[in-house]
Parts: sequence; C-alpha cells; structure tokens
Amino acid sequence: MADSAASVDIVEGCRLPVLRKNQENEDEWPLAEILSVKDIPGRKLYYVHYIDFNKRLDEWVTPDRLDVKKLQFPKKEAKTPTKNGLPGSRPSSPEREVRKSLDLNLQSATAPSRGKTLPTPKRKAESVSLATQASPATPVPSLPDSAEATQASVYPAGRDTNAFNAKGRDDHEQLSSLTTNGTARRPIPSQPGRKRKANCGGNDEMVKVFQYNSPRCPSVFLPQGEDSQDSSDGIPTAPRMTGSLVSDRSHDDIVTRMKNIDCIELGRHRLKPWYFSPYPQELTALPILYLCEFCLKYLKSLKCLQRHLTKCNLRHPPGNEIYRKGTISFFEIDGRKNKTYSQNLCLLAKCFLDHKTLYYDTDPFLFYVMTEYDAKGFHIVGYFSKEKESTEDYNVACILTLPPYQRRGYGKLLIEFSYELSKVEGKTGTPEKPLSDLGLLSYRSYWSQTILEILMELKPDNGERPQITINEISELTSVKKEDVISTLQYLNLINYYKGQYILTLSEDIVEGHERAMHKRHLRIDPKCLHFTPKDWSKRGKW
Amino acid sequence: MSKLSFRARALDAAKPLPVYRNRDLPDLNDCVSINRAVPQMPTGMEKEEELEHHLQRAISAQQVFREKKENMVIPVPEAESNITYYDRLYKGELKVPKQLMHIQPLGLDNEQPDYDMDSEDETLLNRLNRKMEIKPLQFETMVDRLEKASTNQLVSLPEAKVLLNEDDYLLKSVYDYWVRKRKNCRGPSLIPLIKQEKRDGSTNNDAYVAFRRRTEKMQTRKNRKNDEASYEKMLKLRREFSRTVTILEMIKRREKAKRELLHLTLEVVEKRYQLSDFTGEVLSEVTVPLAEKPAYIAPVSLANGMRHKAEMKIKTHKASLPHAYQVSIKDELPFDFVRPKKKYTKLNPPRRPGRPPGHYTVNKADIEQYDFHSSGEEDFPAPLSPPSEPDEENDPDGVFAFRRTAGCQYLSPCAEQNQGLLREHPELAGLDALRHRHSLTALCVPRRCIGPARRRMGRGGRVILDRASDGADTVLRQLDPDVVTAPGATDSGSLPQRSPGPRCSPGSSLSEILDNIHALRWRCFRPRPSQDHSQASRTGSMPCRDTGSLMDPLCCAGGITEEQYHDHQQQLAQMQQQQLAQTSTPPAKRSLQPELNITQTTCSNDCTSKTLDSASAHFAASAVVSAPPQGHVNNENKPHKPSVNGILHPSGTSRPPHSTTTTPSTSTTSMGGSSSSTTTSHSSGPRGPGRSSSSTTSSSLQSLPNPRSHVSAVSPANSHHSARPSAPSPSALKLAATALGRVPKVPPASTGGTLPRENHEPERLNGISETTLATEVT
Repeated sequence: MADSAASVDIVEGCRLPVLRKNQENEDEWPLAEILSVKDIPGRKLYYVHYIDFNKRLDEWVTPDRLDVKKLQFPKKEAKTPTKNGLPGSRPSSPEREVRKSLDLNLQSATAPSRGKTLPTPKRKAESVSLATQASPATPVPSLPDSAEATQASVYPAGRDTNAFNAKGRDDHEQLSSLTTNGTARRPIPSQPGRKRKANCGGNDEMVKVFQYNSPRCPSVFLPQGEDSQDSSDGIPTAPRMTGSLVSDRSHDDIVTRMKNIDCIELGRHRLKPWYFSPYPQELTALPILYLCEFCLKYLKSLKCLQRHLTKCNLRHPPGNEIYRKGTISFFEIDGRKNKTYSQNLCLLAKCFLDHKTLYYDTDPFLFYVMTEYDAKGFHIVGYFSKEKESTEDYNVACILTLPPYQRRGYGKLLIEFSYELSKVEGKTGTPEKPLSDLGLLSYRSYWSQTILEILMELKPDNGERPQITINEISELTSVKKEDVISTLQYLNLINYYKGQYILTLSEDIVEGHERAMHKRHLRIDPKCLHFTPKDWSKRGKW
Repeated sequence: MSKLSFRARALDAAKPLPVYRNRDLPDLNDCVSINRAVPQMPTGMEKEEELEHHLQRAISAQQVFREKKENMVIPVPEAESNITYYDRLYKGELKVPKQLMHIQPLGLDNEQPDYDMDSEDETLLNRLNRKMEIKPLQFETMVDRLEKASTNQLVSLPEAKVLLNEDDYLLKSVYDYWVRKRKNCRGPSLIPLIKQEKRDGSTNNDAYVAFRRRTEKMQTRKNRKNDEASYEKMLKLRREFSRTVTILEMIKRREKAKRELLHLTLEVVEKRYQLSDFTGEVLSEVTVPLAEKPAYIAPVSLANGMRHKAEMKIKTHKASLPHAYQVSIKDELPFDFVRPKKKYTKLNPPRRPGRPPGHYTVNKADIEQYDFHSSGEEDFPAPLSPPSEPDEENDPDGVFAFRRTAGCQYLSPCAEQNQGLLREHPELAGLDALRHRHSLTALCVPRRCIGPARRRMGRGGRVILDRASDGADTVLRQLDPDVVTAPGATDSGSLPQRSPGPRCSPGSSLSEILDNIHALRWRCFRPRPSQDHSQASRTGSMPCRDTGSLMDPLCCAGGITEEQYHDHQQQLAQMQQQQLAQTSTPPAKRSLQPELNITQTTCSNDCTSKTLDSASAHFAASAVVSAPPQGHVNNENKPHKPSVNGILHPSGTSRPPHSTTTTPSTSTTSMGGSSSSTTTSHSSGPRGPGRSSSSTTSSSLQSLPNPRSHVSAVSPANSHHSARPSAPSPSALKLAATALGRVPKVPPASTGGTLPRENHEPERLNGISETTLATEVT
C-alpha cells in the first residue's frame, strides 16, 4: 500500500478510501478527500477529510492507510480542484493563466451581479472561464461535470512545472484581481494555505454573505467603506457583526478547514482540538499547547505554564458567580470588561466549535462559564456565550461542554441554565444558528425532556382532558415557539384528530422519557440563581 | 374515512391542544396522514452537515430506541484526563467562601509581567545567578518591558537602559540575550499574542487575525457621519491626553532628579564641612581625577538638538542675572557653593555630550513634538544653571538642561550698573538707556561711525555687531571715527564691516556726543589706528561703572607694548585678508608670545602661559576696543594698571560689556537684522574664542589635555572677569590651574597687585574655584 502510494502522486483534492477505526474498533474504509500533504523527512502525511463525516474527525494519516487502488482524481469542479493527477502538478497555475486572460472581460461582466446572485449551473455552462469563476461558490462538492472535465484536460501538463514560480505571482495577482474564488478552497501542498489568505473568500463569499444576511437579518449593517470596496474590487466583505457563528463558510479556506493545534493541555486534561483555532501562529507548531486552567492563557511550554502559575492567582473564572449548587457554579463574564479571559475562552472554544467565528471582538457578549469545584479551584466544564442584546431572540450564541465532560449531562445543564436566565429575563430564547450536530442533539434532547415533562405533569382539571397551548409551553419553558413546535413534531406528538390538533403521548415516548429523566440527575435549581438581568440597550451599545 | 376534503388548519400556537395518551385513542393511526399540515421546522443545522453520517445514525437511533445507545453516539476525538503532574503544577488549595464569588472590577490587574520564562531563559538565569542575583520575576519583568516597548523594531540598548533601570552588567546580558532570542523567535513577539487586525483591511481574511474591533458598527441612528466625526475627535483627544501623560511623566522624572541632585550636593557640602575643607583643596583633589577622566558616553543624538541649543542660547541671553552674585563674592561662605555657582558664567560646552544616555527618557518623537524648554529653569532669572559635568548623573533636566555654549558668555544684568552710573552722573539720566548697553562704534573699512552697537561673538568666531538705532544716529553718521577716537584708542584695523548707514538721532548734537564720548560717558569703540601711540591697547571703560562689573575690559594697556600691538595688528590684517580660519592661530601665537614672557613672573610657567594664551587670544579676537583712555572712576575695583595678564584678560573677553547689554529690549537691530553686520574676526578665526585660545597655547605648550580642562581654563577667567574686573587674571589663572590639576600659585604680583584688594584675591579665588569644582562634583 505504502509503495503504491509513493508511486502514484496523491495530491490535494484526490478522493480515496482511507482506513479508520470506528467506535467498535472495527476497520472501516470510508471515502476521504485529501486536503493537504506534508513531507516529513522519511515519509509523507496526508490530511484527510472523511466524506460525510464531521470535520472533527479529519486527521493526518500515513500513506499505508490510503487505498490507492480506488483513488479518484479531483474533478475540476470539485470542492478542492486540482490537476488531473499529473505529476508534480499544482492545482491552479494553468487555470490561472486562462483566468488571467479572461479577467478583463469577466470583471465587467460578472462583477456587478456577483454580489447578488448565486451562480447557477446554467451559468457554468456558458463558458469555460465562467465555470471556473463561479463554480467554487457552491461549497458542496459537485458531481462530475463533463464540461469541466474536458476543460481540465485542456490544460497542458507542461505548464505545471512553473507551479512554484507561478505561486508567488499568482498570489500577488489575485490580490489585485477579481478572480479569487477559483482557488479559494484549493489546498496547497506543502504549506497549507498560508499564502492563501489573500484568496480566501473571493466573490463566492460575498455571494453567501449576502444570501446569509438578507433573508435573516436584512438590517445587518455592512460597513460602508468595505461594502463599496467589495463590490468594486473584489475584496471580500467582513462578516456581519452580530452573532457569533457563521453558517456561510465565507471565511472557510484551506487554513481554517484544517486543525492547526495538535493537543491542548488544560488542567488535568489533554484535549484534541476538533477544528481550527486562531491561536498565535507560532504556537501551532507545538506538539502541546498549554493553557492555564483558570485564566486560560496559552503558553508554549510546561515551564512557561509553571512560571505563569506563580503569577496567576485565579482559581475561578474572573467573573461574578451567579449560581452555585453543590459543586456546580456559573460565572458571568462581561466580554467587554474582561477581554483577555473572554478571548482566551473563545480561542479554546473555537477548537471545538466549527462555526464559531472570532472575527470580531468579544464586547457584545456575556460569557457564562460553568465550573465544577474541587479543592484546587473552580474547574471549567463548559460555557455558553450570549449576546447582551439579541435582535433575533437568541439566548445562546455559542455553547460548549469541554470534551472531557461531554456526555455526562453537563451540556443539558448548560442549556437548562440558559433557559433559566431567559426565564428571569421574561423572554423566550433560542440558540443561535447554525447548530452543530452535537448541538442539535443536545437541544432536541433538552427540548424534548422539558416539553414532555410539562405534558406529563398536566393533570386533568374538572375531569376534562388536560390541554395546553404552544404559547403556554413556550412561556413556561422560555423555549421559543418555533422550537417547541419543531420538538413536538420531531417527537411526533402533534396529530390532527377529529378536526383539531391534539398532542398524543405514545408508550415508548413516555417510557423513554422516564428512563431519561431518571438518568438526568444534574439539574439547575432556580433558587440558587442570583441573577439580575441588565438592560443593555440603556447602557450604550456594548 | 373521508378523503380529507378539508385542509388542515394551520397550527395555532394560541389554541389549546388537548393532551392524550396513545392508548386512549385507538383510532389515531387513521389521522396520521394529515400531520404534514404542521409546518416543517428547520433543524437549524447546515444542510450539508445535517446529512453527516454519524448524526443521521444518532438521530435514527434515538428515534428507534428513544435513548442514546453507546455505539450510536457521534464520535469525537479523544480527550485524556490523566495529567499526573497536575497536583504539582497547581499548588495550593482553595477554600470556598459560603457566599458567591464576586470579583472586584479593578482587582484583576496585578501588574504581573505577561512574559513567562521558558527553560532556555532558565539556563541563562542560572548562569547569571552565578554572578549576581536575579529572580525569575525580575527577569520576566525585564523581558516583558522590552517586548512591550518594541514594535517592529527592537528597543535599542540605550532605550533599554532607560526602560529597565537595572545594573549595567545585568542589563547588558539580558538585553543581548533578549535580542538574540527575539531574532530566533518565530512569532512577532516573545509573548505570544493573537494577531491584530490592520486597519487598512489587509487582514480582513487572515484566519489568524481574531477579535477585530467593531467600531464601524457604532450604531448611530441618524447622524452617523456626525458621530463618526466625534469618534475621531475622541480618538484625537485620547492621543493628546496620552501625550500629556508622557510629558508629565518626564517632568516628574526631572523633578526627582533635581531633588536628588540637591541632596547629593548637600551631602557634598556637609562632608566638606566635616573635613573642614574650606579651601577646596580636598575637593579639587577629589575632582581632578574625575575631571580628567574622559568619561563621555556617546550621547543619544537628538534630531533637533541643534535647535535646542540655539534656543537655549537665546533664552539665556534673555535671562537676566541677579546682581546678587556680586555681593556674594565677598561674604561668601566657604562651603556655600550654591550661590557661587551663579557667579560663574562658565564655558563648558565640550562637556555637553557627557550625559549618560540613560537620562533620555524621552524618545525622539516626543521631543520633536514638544518644546520643553519653556518649562525648564532657563526661564527663570535664576541665571546660571549648574554647569553640566561629565559625571552629571543627576542632572535633572535631561536633554533640556541649560548648558552653556562655547563662545557664549552669560552675564548678569547691568541694571545696577546703570543705576550706579546714573547715580554718579545724574546728568546722564537723560541719555538713552541704549547707550549704556551699546557703545558708539566706528568701523575702519568704510571708515565711519555706525552709531551705537554692541559686539557679539557669533558662530565660528565671527564678530557680530548688533546695532541699535538711536536718536543721535544722524549726528553720529557725520562723526569722524578718528575724531571720536580718544588719544589712547587703539585701532585693531580689524573690522571689515559693511553695514548699512547709521541712523541719526535728532536729539543730540554732534558736539554733545563728542563731549560725552570724551568724558567717557559714552563708550566708544572704533577700529584701532594702525599707528597707535597710546600706551598699548586700551579699552575705553565706562568710568562710572561701579564694582567694575563687566565693563572693565579697559584696564588693559599695561604691559603690552606698542610694537607688540602693531605687530599683532598687522598680522591680523593679513589674516583677515586670507580669511582663513586655521591660519589665524599662528600669527596670534606669534603676537602673543611676548606677552607670555612678560607675564611669567612667579607663576608656574604652564599655568600662566595657558591662561595668558587663552586670554591673549581673546584679546586678539577683540576687534573692537573701547576708546576712552582715561582713568577708572571706580573706587572699589579700580581698574588699575595691571600686569599684562590683567590687560589681556579683559580684552580677551571684551565682549562682556556688550553681552551685558543683551537684554531683549535693546535688540532692535540685533540678531540677524539687516543692519547687523557679520564678519569673521581674524583673530579668533572660524572657531570660537575658546578654541583659538587653546590652539594658541599650543605654541608654548601643547594643546590642553582635554577639552574639559581647556574650558575650565578659559571659562573661569571669563566669568570672573565679568564679575570682578579688578583682578581677573589671578582668578583665571587659579582656576585654570586647578582645572589642570596644578596647585594654584598665583602671586599677587602677577596680577599687578596695585590694588589692596588684590591681596584677597587668592583666597577668594580659592573659594571660587572650590565652589566651581564642587558643582562639578555633583
């Protein structure tokens, strides 16, 4: 296997089955895409993304785990297009030659509309060059397309020898030219995407930003200067300034697609990050990044951590404790008043939250850090952040249980706490979207249990069927109406019966709920919450 | 079951929903088909991710089993929780208070260095600890400060010195180490920091840039533009405040240093008092080695240093010196040196660089932005700031300290003198104050009288005439310089002045003026006639001057023969023609040598000659000589006929009378006014008088050991001269001698001790010199 891997040139964008162990420790050969290749003296390593698996499982693999026999070379239209498996090829240089020549026409033709319309397949067919332009705007790996395939083969292989020369020039050129999207997603062999910064987000980002913004928050204010810049010369726009998550992948380039930290040591724990996090770049090369358990400062070595601990006297998150029951406490931290901690927390959280964006400062957020107390101090278990003022009824921006504490009910506790806060505020709330897979599961589970809890406890009054409105459920739980409905639907409780909607509780739902509630011993006690909501609108923006 | 002819009504959130158990509704399954009437709610996930294998598996597992199955959960990268050294790492235990923890908003910043030592640093520390003690925290603080003071450019060593204020060896070691480490550092800083955005937008897509400011957001409702403007204003305000803070910081530091200087001075005085060092011998012994040690550290060059110098010069001109010093010279206590300090207008420019860079707490940019001298003491009448010394560690004013400039003389105001004059000659009350500051001046090249003027020594030894307009200008214009010239006047023939025509004073008649001149009520300077038969050069002195003060230059004449002068002048004329700076010295030398011989009475050859040399150079430099020949009215410090020394000195420093007049008010025509003419005085050549003096000395003895001693040889003379005209040379000699590390042996005779007062000179001089040196010590 290794031999064959060496003989065939596996480049970025190639797909092939890669060996991985599943949870039962059985061998699986899921299809994976090569995102990056790196040469370590003596061997090569491949950064693979398992198709249809979450990014968090992406990893560096040795050649012997690659099933080279089933290697598929990247299609031109693929998410990470490359040369057609030509030796020494680099994905983009010839293509760029073409683009360069076409730029002028394209600029006038496509630039104005680019911000508004999503490129369609139809447009792709229009011309070869347009296809290269527009295609990466569709983030989904597209199916093989005959037009592009032919296009790809058009490029003479000989050009590729210039790859490295071309690279610098290209980057340069791309800064000034419109056509950045063709390479936006494209990985770079040895130096994962460092030089791609300029590229990331070309027009496709803009497209998506607009898409993203317009339906959901039409009022989003894009800074004018940047706005006009974008439309005129293709410098991508800054993301919206509200919220903490991006759904649009606008800033998702090859750099952010790959994990950059190997391991984080935090207190007793060693965490394997799941996603990219913008810790200082010089620290990403370290085998282990050390964090102070209490202030979350990042340090390059154990020695530094030791030294830091002589100076850091924090034993709990640097905020006010607003809840304590048993060993569980919650601390409230103002993202404006305590920037350092907030930023450190965000950096850590980013390692485990794919969609979290750290583009902007932490000022408009409050951070609620859940800790577990022992003799050493208040150890962070998880946290959620919350916008001081949300225009969209979000009561949670980002939420995370640190991996060592996952699947032990802490996530639900965090969620419960967030709704307790909403109850105090007298509002309903919902988590900011998009949810992650784990987020969806956790929230659904929480919603289900919360709603079922209410439904089960309804007592018939005056011998009549107990009944409840969705609004009532929402008010009781502070869960936003839409979430109530989706949960009822997901649980299949809503039925139309004899001209009216009814809620029905099936046996297995009731049993399942009872079992789950039996296991759910961690609960928030509202009596232990000491929280006075502030009216942030009266305090000036942030 | 009907084919559902109705559409299911929309789900109404406000409508009560009855809750059933499935077992109560056996026929429910029939109705399931309409459930789709309920709107499908989005999951809130990204479509793409929603399809991910493990999620789908988990969801379906939950649907089926109604609870999580172990093998159906979404797999995540593993985490370990078995750090064995945890307890060693996080020491100590925490007792939790009963109450909820509350944090004080300001209690957080405990000023700890952000830099954390690594093992490499530890190695260095261990090495350093063999020689001295340095604690990790100290080291971290140092590196922290260095890091934070550096931007793209590293802090320089002198800056680091200011920044760290540590022992030199330690500082050097740490600094060098830091520079090396920083160079090898992968990141932009040794303290790892999140990449900052750049305001130009170039980092908009840098994945490593995080936490950008969202100032643009500033949700300003209507007048967004307006608000942005005010935001800018706030930013500006903030900048300015921070500058203010910087300035205040520096002032604070300066004042501290001043205080320290005072304390040290006091200490010195006390010590001397204890040692009964009233004569200053101990002090001079102690100071001499110090003085000769050329402990100059290269100064931090300041972009605008020159400007400062210039401005300071002007300032000091303006500063009026209290005449108190004239009194104090008599009743001065031996250990009182603070006042004596003021008695000296010292020339000590070569020492300017002798300032350890450490005191430049200011960075260049700051200095360029602000002119601090206005806050300095040079604005105060308190005239003479302590001279800058090579070891002036405690100089309080740093860059802005008042420093004397070579070739500049700083003299006390002549207010009192004027008063005295008026007292004695009430008839002169009507005379313009101008005339007391200016002398009637005549030129030789356009042979005419230019009216009241005063002479200054400009840069490069140029002689500048500051002319003042006077009522009598018109009259003066008609004045024949020769007529004006008193019999004793000498002509240096040296002033090739081209100056515009003088102005007339309608008020005074020619004859009156002449009268005044002849009566010595009005000084008159004119070029010396080439044939001078008066006894040697003589300077016109204001007769009425009491305490002789600066006026003095006059008293010369004495020992210099006519031939000498003649000789001298011829040479000067030659030089003038050549206009050569460097050639200027040899002739001067030649001319001076005779004088030297004359003066060598009892003095040690070296000392005297030096003094004389400098003095004579000055003399040669003095192109303008005061005319009126006659006697000196002063009773107190009568300008007797002193020995050559006495003569030479004053003449050499014949500028004082002029500079005394440099109160700002007079200078209508002065300072680069069109009427002020500038010429190079032959004798001094392109260099300052001090310089030329030193070069002249080289004939008899090699040039002075170092600038410092040379300066002290000259400056005390000048200062003394200005202070006490009666016996300038002895003091000068004495001081020069002390400065040179010789035991001063100034025989009263040499000073032409015709005056009874002369006898006291040595002691007084001792006092003076000692005090001068005392200030140097501090």
